[in-house]
Order: sequence, then C-alpha cells, then structure tokens
Amino acid sequence: MALIAVSGHPGCRFEELARISALRLGFELLTQSRLRTLTEEEFGADARIPDKAYPSLATSILARLATQHHLVYCAVGGEVQARHFPGMLRVHVVAPENIRIGNLMFDNRLERAAARHLLLELEAADRADRKAKFGKTKATADLFDLVLNAESLTSEQMAELIETAVVSGGLKERGYLSAEAAAQLQFQMRLKLAHYGIVPTGSITLRKKMFAHQSEEIFANLLDFYRIAWEYEPRSFPIQWDRDGSVLESFTPDFYLPEMDLYVELTTMKQSHVTKKNRKVRLLRELYPNFNIQVFYQKDFENLIFKYGLAERQVRV
Amino acid sequence: MSTALLPGLERILFTEEQIDQRIREVGAEISRHYQGKVVKLVGVLKGSVFFLTALARHIEVPLTIDFLGISSFSNKSGAPGVVRIAKDLDDTIEGEDVLLVEDIVDTGFTLRYLLQTLAGRAPNSLAVCTFLDRNSRRIVQVPVDYRCFEIPDRFVVGFGLDYNQLYRNLSYVAVMKPEKSG
Repeated sequence: MALIAVSGHPGCRFEELARISALRLGFELLTQSRLRTLTEEEFGADARIPDKAYPSLATSILARLATQHHLVYCAVGGEVQARHFPGMLRVHVVAPENIRIGNLMFDNRLERAAARHLLLELEAADRADRKAKFGKTKATADLFDLVLNAESLTSEQMAELIETAVVSGGLKERGYLSAEAAAQLQFQMRLKLAHYGIVPTGSITLRKKMFAHQSEEIFANLLDFYRIAWEYEPRSFPIQWDRDGSVLESFTPDFYLPEMDLYVELTTMKQSHVTKKNRKVRLLRELYPNFNIQVFYQKDFENLIFKYGLAERQVRV
Repeated sequence: MSTALLPGLERILFTEEQIDQRIREVGAEISRHYQGKVVKLVGVLKGSVFFLTALARHIEVPLTIDFLGISSFSNKSGAPGVVRIAKDLDDTIEGEDVLLVEDIVDTGFTLRYLLQTLAGRAPNSLAVCTFLDRNSRRIVQVPVDYRCFEIPDRFVVGFGLDYNQLYRNLSYVAVMKPEKSG
C-alpha cells in the first residue's frame, strides 16, 4: 500500500500540498477533520478521545482505510505511523517565518502584525498538541524522508516531487494493506483504545439476547470491565449415560475464561436448587478431573452486587 | 477512634491490637526478604492507604512510596467501559523492586489487571502484599506474597475498606450486618 504522511510548520500550507498530492496521485485524503468524522461514526459522537489515545486511534482508522485505498494522511504527527506502516513516505514542509506570516496574511486577510501574532499562537498550539499526543513538542528532520522548503517551491512543485518519490519507491505497486495485516493491527490498537474506555458503539448490544439471566449479564460486564476474555456456554459436558451409552444428562457451565483455562458456573438460585447444581459440579469434577471449574454462589454474587452498588443501577448492555 | 461498634456493623473481626501485631510480623517478613535493597511500596487508592502507612512504619529497609488509582466498575455515570488507570504512578518503576500493596484481594480481577500493567513497566521485581485475602471468592488465580489476614466470605469494612466511601477510618475491621450487605 502507499501511505504518505504530510505535515509541516504552521503557516506552510501543507494541507494544500496534501490535497494536491492526493488529487495528482488518485489517493484518498485523510485530514484531521475527516479523521474526527470517522471516529464519531465508529466510536460514537460522544466518545471522548484522550490525547494519549490519539496515535492508536489514527492507526486504527488508517488500517481500516488502507485495505481499500492508497492514502495521503495530513495530520500533526503523521510521521509516527511509520512504525505500523513500514515504507510509508513521510513529508514535512518548512518555510522561513516571513513566508509563513505572508501566507497567513493572505489566507486570513490580516495585517502583518496580526498575522505574526496568529503564527505565534498556531506554533504554541502545535507544540502543545504534539506534546500531548506524542510526548514531544516538535518533530526533527530525521523523522522524515522528504523535507521541503516552501520558500521557493510552490505547492504544485512540491506535489511533483512527492509523486516522483512515490514512483521511484514503487509505493503504488505494493497493493493495499492485506486484510490479515489490518486485522492484526486492529487487534493491537483496539486493545490500546480499550485501555482508555474507547470501544466501538453497539459492539456489546448483541449480548442482550445472549444471556438467560441478568446475573450472567452482570458477570459478563464485569469480565469485560477487567478485560478478561470469555465465552458463554461454549461446551456441554455429558455427566450421565444410560446402558446404551446415550447421554442422559449434561452440564453446561455458564462461562469459559480461555486465558485462565477456567469454567465458571453462576448459581444465583435458591438453596434447594443449589444442591442439584452442586451434584452436577461434583460429577463434572469426577469425570473430567483435568478441567478447572469455579462455582460462584449466590452469596458471592450478592456481595458483588453490594460491592459495586449494582442493585441501584440498571445494567447496561 | 473508639472501638465501640458503629450502627450497621455486626461484629469486630480484627481489633486494632490484632491488626498492629500482624502488620509488625508482615513488616518484619518483608524487611528480611528485601534486605540490602530499596523497596518501592505501590499503594492502590483509596483502600490501601491506611494499611500502607502502617506497614511502611514496620519495614526496616529503605523504601519509597507511590500510589495509583484505577477506574471503578461501579461508576454510575454510565456503562462501565473497561478498567483503566485513573491516577498513575508519579515515577517510573523501571529496575525497581516493587511491592504492590492492596487492602483486599477477592476475585483477583483487579490485582490481575494491576500486575499485568506494572509488569509491563520493567520493574526488577514485583510482589504483592495484601491486608486481607478473601481466598474463597477467588476466580482468577493471582500470586499473593504477603497477607495479613485471610477472611471469610463476608462483607467487611474498616482500616481503609469502605461501604459507600464510609467506615474507612475505623481502626478495626468489622463485619457488616447482613441486612445492609445484601
């Protein structure tokens, strides 16, 4: 796949360069505002994205688009994506201060003094943004493949240089990002995003129909909260057979936690039924001694409800 | 703090004197283990604060302290999302001998998350010390290196442990009355 990251000093019109390059090359343009829109579509309009989660979020969106498009990515810190997308072309645009002030005067119809003031503000915002998202206030030249000086080069000339670099590097010939590579990247990024509580909207609504009892739903929520992988009733264990070997009775534990190789059975029913359940668990342990099973009794569950104040809250799924 | 039982409490499980005696013993055990080293006590907010300060006074090797806090599943403002660090450590733990100090370990969910998180920060060693261990409720097996008391499957408060943020300041550990604790 071809991925070009374009960034630059404030007032350098690097956004214009990104747009022209995308047009010339026939690539999809991903700007900061487009990234915001895609984020809202995927994680909901209310999703709060902490600055530290931003790089992972950008990687996740890029990985999704890169399976179907070659991309020009125009955003602060785009160059750091090279660690996930080897071979990407990193472009940075610089220009002397007087040129940048001139651009701001022209683009914003400002007097020179006001444009100078605006440039200082933009530079401060840029530093703060980089620091918050990437831990450093500025990007040094060694992070880029092409550093272009807009003092004497027009945006069209710079776009031509980028096109030359794309052709000589054979970027287009590489094809799009494979589905396997995208899936692997997505897994890593989604895990990181989940650290910040950022999960795709609607991803857990499917569970609503899955559980037979609300306690199971609460337990699944708790496992999700602690990022413990689980499967719901993945396997039935025969525990009684007739003389012909036909299964008379089976036992299906509620949850399986693959990371711990542990089955969990919830028994939130009355004591009279618990005796029956205990018999099943005992049989299971006798017949399948290599399987680990943990029973979570009503008392355990009540303490859990009490500890987390869940009785007062509608469980959301 | 008076040892008279407050309303809502059923009985005292561990008195102030029993707690003090046991913490001295565990402190001595830790001092022996970390002889010649500097140990970093990492307390998990808010419950472990009382235990950590009491424990630190009975550890005889040089030590530093730091705290971290994690988001709560009981956040009533909306769906719980996933656990995350709500208050991170102030300093790095790379190359340090870290002793994670907990108020209580029960299901093991929280401790598992904390150990995974801290282990990824390249400490020299990572061990766990808990004030209370409710082993009967354990779902996830987690290593507990030092424990003051094992407790039965009852809801307890005091010495840092709370119910709705109350009772933390009790100098003893008490069992809550069943009608209140479900």
